[in-house]
Amino acid sequence: MVLMINHSSMQPIYEQISGQIKDKIIHGELIEDTILPSVRTLAKELRVSALTIKKSYDILEQEGFIITVHGKGSFVANANQSQLAEEIKREVETEFEQAIRKGRSCGMNDQEIDELFHIIMEEL
Amino acid sequence: MIRLYNVKKQYSQFQLHCSLEVPQNRVTALIGPNGAGKSTTFKAILGLIHVDDGEIELFGKPLHTLTIQEQATLGIALSNSCFCGYLQIQDIIPILAQLYPKFQKEYFLQQCQHFDLPLTKKINDFSTGMKAKLKVLIAISHQARLLILDEPTTGLDVLAREELLDILREYMIPGDRSILISSHISSDLEGFCDDFYLIDKGKILLHEETNILLDNYGILKVTDKQYPYVNPIYLTRKKKEPYGYRLLTNKKQFYQDNSPELIIEKCCIDEIILMMTKGEHI
Repeated sequence: MVLMINHSSMQPIYEQISGQIKDKIIHGELIEDTILPSVRTLAKELRVSALTIKKSYDILEQEGFIITVHGKGSFVANANQSQLAEEIKREVETEFEQAIRKGRSCGMNDQEIDELFHIIMEEL
Repeated sequence: MIRLYNVKKQYSQFQLHCSLEVPQNRVTALIGPNGAGKSTTFKAILGLIHVDDGEIELFGKPLHTLTIQEQATLGIALSNSCFCGYLQIQDIIPILAQLYPKFQKEYFLQQCQHFDLPLTKKINDFSTGMKAKLKVLIAISHQARLLILDEPTTGLDVLAREELLDILREYMIPGDRSILISSHISSDLEGFCDDFYLIDKGKILLHEETNILLDNYGILKVTDKQYPYVNPIYLTRKKKEPYGYRLLTNKKQFYQDNSPELIIEKCCIDEIILMMTKGEHI
């Protein structure tokens, strides 16, 4: 499993790690029952603290992407397609949310944001 | 594995007053400027100095009740100590085997070879880096449950530091061990330690997990004009600069969301030390 961390990014490291593993699961690169490296092993490989890795694994577990069996390790969970679709939908939702917040904080009104959305939709 | 509760030690010019805890499977760093009390804390943990007040526990037992066998499961490297300089590595092997029942000679020799430490050369003639590596190798070569390392990376170049940290990362893999490590070069601890205690003038100023320090803490740079309008709720320290103020926040996300016009930077541990010890309270 190859993961790459950007230390200059504003995105927290644990989010980068959980995001990249999630990506690999969604795109089928990591399949069900694959065992993930232990927290300490991955911490050593990526040269980050073990609690950071633990936080990433906890998030993945909460979201149902992996299962941790005490004393055995963490495994890729049986993620069904609708769950994955749901996850992608949620990600898009948060990004829309952020964009709208930003627009509002800069003084755009809802109609302007709505128009902008439609313009982009047509362009793409 | 280690618990210090309200430990006090009074010297004429200096008072130590600290509480700290290192649980199992944890790498904890003790950082701070020179003379902050790092080495004094280490000496207190090891019972090398008499403390005036407070409780010290190792492996869940009061310090003075530890048996010799339990003491042998500690791996220690202190800053200004090593074996007598007139000895060679081949001379200290039998000493180590006597001191530590679980001394792993094969592993030790293998590591000495790996790090190019000659067996037949006086320790006095070792370079600073070689001495530092030898100290850490001794600490990890007898299946210690807990390592106490005072400034193990001092005087090492960046390559040697990284090599040394890699040995320690390897040591942590079994998952039932802990390390307490101190350093004043904190950058090399960012990628290794799980949590940090910042000590200054004998007192713990800050205790936080590494990922929280790196992800949530940040530096705001504001002009004199901007300063009165910055919401001080998540600011902890300020420092005057030619352009205005430099502010330490423990929630940079808040300012990214609410004051996107400000300059907000990620900050490294060194910067946090600087702001916490030299900055003014807000």
